Formats: sequence, structure tokens, C-alpha cells
Amino acid sequence: MPLGNFASLIHFLPELAVTATILLLVVVHVAGKNRQSAAPALLSLAGVGAALLLAALQPASAGRSLFEGMVALDGFAIFFKALTALATIVVIFMSMDSGELAGRSQAEYYIFLLSVLLGMFLLTASTDIVMLYLSLELVSIPSYLLAGYLKGRESSTEAAMKYVVYGATASGVMIYGFSLLYGLTGTTQIGEIGRALATGDAPLPVLLAAVMVTVGFGFKIAAVPFHMWSPDVYEGAPTPITAFLSVGPKAAGFAVLVRFFYTVFASPDVAAGVWKISSRVDWTLLFGVLSAVTMSVGNLVAVNQTNVKRLLAYSSIAHAGYMLMGFVLLTPAGLQAILFYLVVYLFMNLGAFYVVILVANGTRSENISDYSGLGSRAPFAAVSLAIFLFALTGIPPFSGFIGKVYLFAEVINRGVYWLAVVAALNSVVSLYYYARIVKVMFLEDPKDSTELPVPLFPRSVLCFLAIPTLLLGVYWEPVARVAANSVKLLAF
Amino acid sequence: MTGPANLIFYALAALTVGSAVLVAVLPNIVYAAVALLFSFAGVAGLYVFLSADFLAATQVLVYVGGILILILFAVFLSNRISDVKISNPARFQWQAALLCLALFGVLSTTAVRTVFPLKHGLTYQPTTAEIGELLMTRYLLPFEAASVLLLAALIGAALLSRPDGKGKGSADMEEPK
Amino acid sequence: MLTDFATVLVFMVLGAVTVALLLLVSRLVQPRDPTPVKLSTYECGEVPFGSSWVQFNIRFYVVALIFIIFDVEVALLYPWAVIFQRLGMVAFVEAFVFIVILLAGLAYLWKEGDLDWVRTMQDAPARKEGK
Repeated sequence: MPLGNFASLIHFLPELAVTATILLLVVVHVAGKNRQSAAPALLSLAGVGAALLLAALQPASAGRSLFEGMVALDGFAIFFKALTALATIVVIFMSMDSGELAGRSQAEYYIFLLSVLLGMFLLTASTDIVMLYLSLELVSIPSYLLAGYLKGRESSTEAAMKYVVYGATASGVMIYGFSLLYGLTGTTQIGEIGRALATGDAPLPVLLAAVMVTVGFGFKIAAVPFHMWSPDVYEGAPTPITAFLSVGPKAAGFAVLVRFFYTVFASPDVAAGVWKISSRVDWTLLFGVLSAVTMSVGNLVAVNQTNVKRLLAYSSIAHAGYMLMGFVLLTPAGLQAILFYLVVYLFMNLGAFYVVILVANGTRSENISDYSGLGSRAPFAAVSLAIFLFALTGIPPFSGFIGKVYLFAEVINRGVYWLAVVAALNSVVSLYYYARIVKVMFLEDPKDSTELPVPLFPRSVLCFLAIPTLLLGVYWEPVARVAANSVKLLAF
Repeated sequence: MTGPANLIFYALAALTVGSAVLVAVLPNIVYAAVALLFSFAGVAGLYVFLSADFLAATQVLVYVGGILILILFAVFLSNRISDVKISNPARFQWQAALLCLALFGVLSTTAVRTVFPLKHGLTYQPTTAEIGELLMTRYLLPFEAASVLLLAALIGAALLSRPDGKGKGSADMEEPK
Repeated sequence: MLTDFATVLVFMVLGAVTVALLLLVSRLVQPRDPTPVKLSTYECGEVPFGSSWVQFNIRFYVVALIFIIFDVEVALLYPWAVIFQRLGMVAFVEAFVFIVILLAGLAYLWKEGDLDWVRTMQDAPARKEGK
């Protein structure tokens, strides 16, 4: 029985904290004089920190339906709340240090960032298509604004423009799919839709709806062929936002993809402890192909990139492909692998982007060729970047390796060998372009040998990102356990 | 539905689709914008046939009265508009037509062949009060979330469209090559 | 309900017919004797030059954008107003929260000077330095 609106408020504290922070940011901006003060950043840090704490304190054991069935409070939602809040905190640190954002009005930036966070909180918990659509827009619209935040810089405006056009189309197609589902079942609750579809027999509209919904979610996780926007947006957006988009909304996209498809188009098979496809539409095959294509396109195109942000954009497409492998298996272990991979990916990907920001602050360049000799110019940053890149490749003993082991093990366990082979080949390709950056940094002579100073604050943030990247490669058990616990509650 | 009502429905549908086609094919964007007005108005009429009177009014209020004006402003605002030819030239016409036809085939087949569960005995009732009640009870969370979305959109709209010299400031990073 | 909208339809049809009729009548009765001078754009007796396409002031656009946001807000609040008496205090609190969040946006616009038309244009250079 879902809780009523006012009874739900007590279980809604993280979201309320973020909302209150957004309002406070507006008030501080209106009352304050200095537009470039650090107050908004610090206030956002406090607010998101509080939200993270409140989310972590929420009881994961009791799965509850809140606000008349609009959102769910289960381990899955709590996991993603904590994950996205953590990513936002790191991104706030990165933003405080970014040369691109210095000299611009600060409050609006953090208002948008926190609006996206609120949207992600709601999106990962949505159990009603009205709520789901609205929270997806709450993630998207401030994201467009953030991508175009560098007003006056052409590439940033272009990024925002492309993002809006693609995003509007994707969400339009998605809501058409929702309308089909509503028309078939007469309810907006995804649980009820799932039950109604399981008994119904109409493969064509269900397939069409599944494909159309995939467009919307695929756009959010930047899966091929809905990835066209991402390289341009990633390149043009301010780098902290690029980092944010490649982790936060992507994780939220995975969360909603899993919750929606596992509830609407599949039903839990309690006896076997897995999910089974409930309609006659075999969407797992569709997503298997999507996964293989996504990782292959991402990796193969990344090879030729000369701009680091663009390269990381394609690499993040490839990683979405890896994670989709866990999605098609319909097992708790597959989901656990996705969740674990997302944690690992958060640290390594944000870390890599942070080094890009630090280098860009010093050299004003994002070209790979300008990274030559970084090993001697800024050894600390170069070593950190090497750690993050090797982790992204998935080489032992870095954490990315463990993330991939979980994914591959479950794929092989379920007998989807062709996908495992494709993924293994892709990992080899990815080694080439990640290692190329490392080679440029350490083996090529610097064009400009002046030292790039990395102050204490960025150093400590880099440590905060690098230590988990290393540690999770040797001692991952607690995080894996949390991931496993977060999966159990979903939809069962 | 009785005869004349049927006729009006088809007239509205033709108005909507015909204007939408004009929006796509007219080379002059001002004409296209005006065609869009009729398309929006036609959609509002179709909402009336679906017994969605509030939605029809909102459609007129927001789309016809707001979005369309904004689009026209955007056309008038375009910088150096007298220097460039105002047009949206069409490319890849055949491929696009083929794709659209295929999509149309799929969508219309689905719509026609699917047996949607119908609600019988429908009477045309005003819906505004019902919507209000749902917004205040069941859909309260989306309602409140919409206000945060509108807040972000409001600030973003003002920030991005505000005319100021920012962006050429000294602290600005150079365009990365 | 449908009959109410039939009135709307009749009204719209009458409006369209009236316009068409008036145009037709004036077309029928007008004398037509075009010369190049008559066909040129009327510019208070001056010889027209340049294009009639001048750039709009961008502030129209800002105001239009802001208008749309508040337009949507009103559209969402209208159903609330209809049932306000029935639901009473609960609905009041719920709509109050909604409005307060958007009032923050209004305060932002006010502070940024997006709402006042004349002053902002004069102060624009000064504001730039203050940022």
C-alpha cells in the first residue's frame, strides 16, 4: 500500500534537502552582492553532503512506495541516490577549481547542478510514468543549460543546441511509447502496466513501445545509435559538466532503464531468483546487440580522437556498452555487476576528467599532443591520470578490472558467449588508445617544459578519487556486498 | 459520433496534418511559423473531441499564445537576418520520405490493428476539477517537481537569453582547438 | 460540453468568414492602378532604403521566455483554483509550496533586472563591470 503524500515526507528527506538547497541558493544569490563568491559552491556542498548522509541513513531493508505510488524507496533507489550525490559532490569540487567557470556567475550554475541531482533522485525512484517523464525532464533541461553555460563560447553554445534538439526528439519518442503503454493498460503505474502486459497478448504495440522507450533511455545513457549528441556535447560543455554528464545522468539512466524494463517488460521469477521476460517481445536480444554495437562503436571511434574530452566521450559510450551487458542477463548478479561497475566508473572517470581540467587550467589546451612530457611537468597529475586510464582499460590490479570481472563472469555464467567475446576484443582496442595517452605523457618530450603546478586542494581531491580506484582493485568486497544488497529489493 | 461531428473531426485532423506538412515544406520560416499556428489550433480542436477540454484550453494558452509567439520572436531576432536567405533548404528528401513512410506504416498499423481497451459510455464532461483534484492528491509529487523544473527553466532562460557582454571577459578560457 | 465548444467553433468560423468576406469585398470594389511609386513601401514620404528586416530588441525575447514559464505555471494552477474550495487547507498548502518555489524565480528575475525594461538598458555597461 503506497504511503500518502504527507506521510511520505519523512522518507523524502534527501530530496527535500536538495530542494531546500536550491531555494537557498536563489536566496543567497538575490541577497548577495558578489557573483563570483564561493558561497554558492560551499552551500551546494553542504546541501548535497546532507542529502548524501540522509540517503545513506535511509533504511534499505524496507521497500516502500511513496507519494501515492509515484516513487519507490528501496535499496536500489537509495544506492543510486548515494551514487549520484557522491558524483555531484566531486563535480562541485571540480567546478570550484575549473578555469572555464571562473569569472562567471556562480549561483545559477549550482542551481542547475542541484536541479539535475534532484531529477536524478526522482528518476531513479520513479514508479509512475508521469513522475518518470517529469523527472527525466528535470534531469535533461538543466543539463542543456549547463552544457551551454559558457555563454559566448561557440562550442559550448553548439553543445547546448545539439543537446536540446536531440534530447527533445528522444523524449518525444519516449513519451509516444508511454502513451502506447497507457493506452494498452489504462494505468500510469509501472507495476500495474507490467502485470497487465503479462496477461495481455499484443506483441506489436508492446514491441513498438519498448523500442520507443529505449530511445529515451538510450539517449540518457548515450548508447549507440542514440549517442550522436555526446561527443559534441562532451567537447563543448564545461569540463566539470562533461564529467558530470558522463557519470551522473548516465547512472540515473541505467537505474531507470533497469527499473522500467524489469518491471514493465519482465517479471520476477521468485523461485529461480531471476527475472523472466513477461511479454512475447524478446527485448534482451535487442539490448544484447545494442550493447555490442555500443561498445564497438565507442572504442573504435575513440582510437582516432585527438581531443582528450572527445576521446573520453567515446570511451564513456563504450563503458555504457559494457554495462548494458549486465542489463540483458535478467539476473541479480548481472545487476550487481552494473551497480559495482558504476561505482568504480564514477571514481575513474571523474578522476580522468579532473586531470583534464587541471591540465587545461595550465596549458589552456585539451589536445592529446599537448600532454607530451606531462610526466615531468606535473608528475602527480600524470601519474593519477595514468592510474585512471589503466583502470578505465580494465587492467589488474586496478578497480576497473574487478568491475569487468563481475560483468564478464556473469555474462559467461549465463552462456552469452558471443557478447563476452565482443567485449573482450573491445577491451583490447581500448588498451590501445588509453595507453597512447600514457605514452604521450611519459615517453614523449614536452613541447614546453615549464612545470605545471598542481596546488594542494586539487591534489587532495585527486587522491580522494585515485585511492578508491586503486583500493577497489584489491579490496572490493564491501562495495560488492552493498551492490548485491541494493539489487535484491528491486521489484521483488 | 454523429455525422456533422464526424465531419468536423476530419476537418480538424486535416487542418492539423496539412499545416504540419506545410511547416515542414515551406521554405520561408515565417510562413512555416504561421502554419504551425494552425497545426497547434487543430490539435486543440482534437483535444476537445477527446473530452479533454482543459487540455484544449491549455494548448491554446501555452502553445498558440506562448510558444508560437516565442518562435516568431526568435525569427525576428535572428542576427543579420537581411544578409542571410531566410530558408530551411530541404536535403536528403528521398531518404527522409522513405524513412517517414516506413515509420508512418509502422505507427498506423500499430494504431489500427491493436485492440485498445475502450471505456464505454463516455460522456463529455468538464475535466478541470478532476484534473485539479488529481494534481492535489495522487499526482502531487509531479506537480511540485514541476515547480522546481519551472524554476530551473526560468533562471536558465533568463540567464542564457539576457543580453550582456559576458563571455568576452578576461578570465575566459580560449577556445580549445 | 461538446455543445459549448460548438459555440466556439461557430464563433471561429464566423470570424474567418467575416475576414475573408471583407477582403473579398474590398478587392472587388477597389480601383487598381499600380505605378512603381505606389508599389514601393510607404515611408512617410521619404524614399525607402535598406531592408525592412531589422533586428528586434533581444529583451522582447527574454520577456517572452519569462512569460511562457509563468504561463505554464498558471496553466497548472488553474485546476487547483477550481477545486480549491472543496479541498480547503490541504490544497492551499500544496499550492503555496508550488508558488513559493516559483517566487524564488521571480525574485531572481527582479534582482537581475530582467523585469525592468528601461533601466537595464541604460545600466548595461555599469552592470557588466559589476559582474
